[in-house]
Amino acid sequence: MGTNLIQNYINKPIQQKPVQQQTSTKPMPDFDIQRELDNRTFIKPLAGKGRLLTGNILASPKYTFDNFVYSMKALKHAAKGDANDHELGKINDLGLMGGGLAIASYLTTKRYTPMTKGMEFVGLGAFLASMALWPKIAIQLPAYLIHGVNVQKEYQDSFGRKKPFYQDPQFIPWDLYSDKQIDKIGDRLGVPKDIPNRRDFIQEKMRKLAVQNNTLWMLTAGIATPVMTALICNATEPYLINHMNNVRNQKADKILTNVNKYSERYQTKHIEKKLEAVYKQFQNKPVDANIYDALVDAFTDDLDAVTMESFKKDLKSIIYNGEYNISETTAKNISKNIKQQFEKQGYSQEFINTVIPNEEGMVNLFKDNQFIKGTKADSFNKIVKAITLNISQKAVEYNKLHPEDTEDLKHIRSIITSQATEKHPIFKELYAVKSKIFDADLFKTLQKAALAFDGFRARQLALDEYALLKAGSAPETVIANYWNNVSKDLIKIFGITDKELEKTRFDKNLMGNLLREKIENIVSDRASYEKVMNTLVEKIASLNSQIKPSDMTSHMLKGDDPKKDKTVYEEAVNSVFKEWSQKINDSGFTRTARAIAGTGEDEFGSAKAIQKAFVEERLLGVKSSFYRLINTLDFYRRVATDPNAMKPYNNAVPREVREELIELCKIITLEGHSSDNAIKFYMLRNPNPATDYSPLEVENGKIKNAYLGKAPKGTTDIPNDKYFFQNAMKFMFGDEIHPETKSILEKNNITNEVTNYRRLVMEKIGGEKYFWKPRHIVSNVGDTSSDIKFLLTGIAPNELIYKTGQQVFNSKKWLKIFGGIGAGLLGVTVLAQFFLGRLKAPQGGNK
Amino acid sequence: MILPVNSSNNYINFSADKKEPKVLEYSHDTLLKNNFANRAKINVDNLINAFTVYPAKGMTGSKNANFYEFLTMGAVPYLVGSGMLMAIFNGASKHYSPFQRVMARSTGNKLALGVLFYGIMKNISKSFISKPVKMLTGVDIEQPYAKVIYELPDDINDTDITSIEHHKVFESVEFPRWDLLYGDESKGEKRNGYYDKIAKKLGMGDNLKDSDQEVKPRIKEIVVKSTLAKNISSYLWAATGVALAAQEPWDNFFNVMTFKFWKGREFSKSIQSFGKNLVKASKALWEGQGNGIKKQSGKILIGLAAASTILGIINSVYSSKNPSNTKASDVIDKNKNYIKN
Repeated sequence: MGTNLIQNYINKPIQQKPVQQQTSTKPMPDFDIQRELDNRTFIKPLAGKGRLLTGNILASPKYTFDNFVYSMKALKHAAKGDANDHELGKINDLGLMGGGLAIASYLTTKRYTPMTKGMEFVGLGAFLASMALWPKIAIQLPAYLIHGVNVQKEYQDSFGRKKPFYQDPQFIPWDLYSDKQIDKIGDRLGVPKDIPNRRDFIQEKMRKLAVQNNTLWMLTAGIATPVMTALICNATEPYLINHMNNVRNQKADKILTNVNKYSERYQTKHIEKKLEAVYKQFQNKPVDANIYDALVDAFTDDLDAVTMESFKKDLKSIIYNGEYNISETTAKNISKNIKQQFEKQGYSQEFINTVIPNEEGMVNLFKDNQFIKGTKADSFNKIVKAITLNISQKAVEYNKLHPEDTEDLKHIRSIITSQATEKHPIFKELYAVKSKIFDADLFKTLQKAALAFDGFRARQLALDEYALLKAGSAPETVIANYWNNVSKDLIKIFGITDKELEKTRFDKNLMGNLLREKIENIVSDRASYEKVMNTLVEKIASLNSQIKPSDMTSHMLKGDDPKKDKTVYEEAVNSVFKEWSQKINDSGFTRTARAIAGTGEDEFGSAKAIQKAFVEERLLGVKSSFYRLINTLDFYRRVATDPNAMKPYNNAVPREVREELIELCKIITLEGHSSDNAIKFYMLRNPNPATDYSPLEVENGKIKNAYLGKAPKGTTDIPNDKYFFQNAMKFMFGDEIHPETKSILEKNNITNEVTNYRRLVMEKIGGEKYFWKPRHIVSNVGDTSSDIKFLLTGIAPNELIYKTGQQVFNSKKWLKIFGGIGAGLLGVTVLAQFFLGRLKAPQGGNK
Repeated sequence: MILPVNSSNNYINFSADKKEPKVLEYSHDTLLKNNFANRAKINVDNLINAFTVYPAKGMTGSKNANFYEFLTMGAVPYLVGSGMLMAIFNGASKHYSPFQRVMARSTGNKLALGVLFYGIMKNISKSFISKPVKMLTGVDIEQPYAKVIYELPDDINDTDITSIEHHKVFESVEFPRWDLLYGDESKGEKRNGYYDKIAKKLGMGDNLKDSDQEVKPRIKEIVVKSTLAKNISSYLWAATGVALAAQEPWDNFFNVMTFKFWKGREFSKSIQSFGKNLVKASKALWEGQGNGIKKQSGKILIGLAAASTILGIINSVYSSKNPSNTKASDVIDKNKNYIKN
């Protein structure tokens, strides 16, 4: 390495002699480059075509589309090996998107509901959007607002490639900014106007800002992108649920308007095809267990167990219809059997060979008499007669030829016919193949049934789909969405705070106590009661607009006659099932037809009844739960306004008993669980109540208990006081509802259903023989099935709030943690701007 | 290349302070062997820089900050983001009720594992392309080299003006570092040794007169095509990783999972369970559940990833260009203006 001038300067700064300033003499002192250029004495490259890109902070659709086209072209170039670095970079973005789509598509197959499937793609979209939006929202926009510099400026180079202006701080194409533009930015940046090399200083400031912001981007994106993605998904979810709910609800409505047309998509002719395959395999073979099994398999795929059993019986009677299969083999076997019989009796071979028809002869005999076919047992005697006649005739001829050695004809006949059926040489064979041939006729009969089955299955699937979409016991059905929608708002409606939720969420009883406090507080004041009740009833009544009672209803709650007042769904079910049962009845499947549609008016237990009952029970269960909540609030309101109005107790029993009664009712309405009826609510009471008959007093929605819980000698359950329990029941469900509640219910058109609900509870639950205590019944209805009791009890309000409370708490907690992180990060990132781009201006300038 | 004032002695001090001279590992841009040790060293080096030196330089707006540093810092959001994703799935579950916690963690853990597998598969799968391509063509698209950077001093006391960056010879297809691939004749190496080797491997013949000129366009083509294949297939393999993590058998592993390596027995059980369930999960992914597309989805995904890899390799190995017959006169369009008079 040669001597370096600067090195000399560094290493010997002091010893060196003062360096003399060298002035170079210009070889052409008068040379003026501008003039030369203007005179075109030089050649120069074409002017660059690069330009700054201006655009909105959010990419316009055209911009996005152009980028996509560019990426596609890049892909084509790369596949041929011609792509440049910029294009290869774009392909990486394509790969990222493709990989993301692959993930979302795969995970979709692992999800079971439309919403969760949809959320996979929302998640991908949100992730890509977050990656693109975070730098724009948290970096580019604040930097622009605070400093006036777009740190994510893009430019297009001479080859049309779009690139970030500050991508490489060592190579920034400053020439694309005009002096005027830079000066303007400089003014905004507060750069003094009169400093030397102002442009350079402004550029340096801009570069510094850009480098700092790019680094800030890299440091924050890791936290921001996932959080932002999750928050976007969170925010999108309710809209997606709502949208999906509307789409699916409309789809369901469409199915019901034309079940037949919709069912075409389910027309697979599945059974018919299977039947054809069975026929192909066993064509013209005698029906046996194999064929029977194959046919059962073909027809009963996804048929319910009851119908299947009936079908099996029908099938048996059709394919085994008392006929027996007589074939050439039968004839041959008969010949063999008879010969054996005669051999055993010691007849000579000559006799046997002459008199007994050999196998061929027997076959011919059968053929001549047209015995070879499926035939019933009553024609077997004809066959036996024909054979014995044939043998007898031959025996007569034999006797003529052998007069010296005649055989007794009677004996000959008896050898053939005197045996029991199982040993009978002829009958044994005739009864052997107890079936008919799987021939074209049988196939046609079964094909007719298969056609009916296929058509029915398709329409039943359409009905199933309708029932599932509307009321299925599955996530994201209309009824499930409605349930979630109402219950998640309850926390807000009852004014339960986050703190209260955090404390009580793990315990049903704590939640019950909290809820009681809240309700007592609400009912203490007319305005607050009406407000809460209005909101609640409005929400609860909204189900009738989503599932129209004319389409699908619970007749019990509606209080109409299910035999006369049929819903659209029931009409559809009736017509589909009726048509099917008639068709297969005509094909001989009479038991199956009965299992499907019942007999006449009695359809109890039939598939048709089950199809109808499913939706009705779902509606009853869901509506009961919410009507119970309405009744609970109403009861608390009645107590709060006039605790002495209860009939028939009024003031006829000691105040202490009435206090006990109201306490019991408050507990039952709020916490009574369907299994609590089994443990019978052991109400601990004072066996010797004080003889005070003064009226009850109320304060802030609560009874001012003068005696309850203060019994001097302790409390006990009093099982024989049946009036106590009966009156409790009447008080809760029998007495008139509060006029305020009534007007709200009327406004929302559910008075009828709520009234019916209360009546049903009185009758069905109050009518149970073992209601609370033996024979403490309130009504005489009795014989209520346990499922109806279960459905009417619904979910206890404290349990409903307990379950919902946990979900609401979890979502809020999550949002608090990660929303907090997101908001904090955004704040820090924006604040950081104020510390960026600081550069000391050269001395001597003023702003 | 424009060299700075002195490339052999870095002790350039513009101030009176005396400092120990910094000794760099390399004095000039140096080709590195693409072996495990080097790769590990480069990765560790880059990772440390990405979290320390480069953010510091970037946040102060250093005049020496460059695009390489910005790109290297991409590891920060990648790793932090992965951790954050895992936290989002699981971070709040400790506040849930025990039953809900169990349910949330089953899903959350699988998603977290998915994030991990995404990263692993994304990185491993790059070699699914680069290794076969190297074997078949001799071109190593991942060939690293150390680049010596001369920076501007930050201030008068700044003597530390050199640094090392780890680049790849073919990271730019427009400007590959051809110069590093020539042999040093002063060391007895053949100047075109590398290019001769590639030419032979590609079947372009032995003893070519100017093997470098003949081979360079082919190498470029291979680099472009295999980069394409790598960019597409690695994301599909990453997706396969996520799908693998979404399989049910992992629940068994999460039940016994522990990171407490000091508890020997539990930890080894945890590792064993991971291995067992990895096998089970792979089977579950391949076999699928249900019917129709649902059952086939695992096979489709793996098939897509494998197909993109195989097609990518085939496309990279076979040239889609015919031997050039173009003459210089054909390249330049005489009717077009290239300069201005």
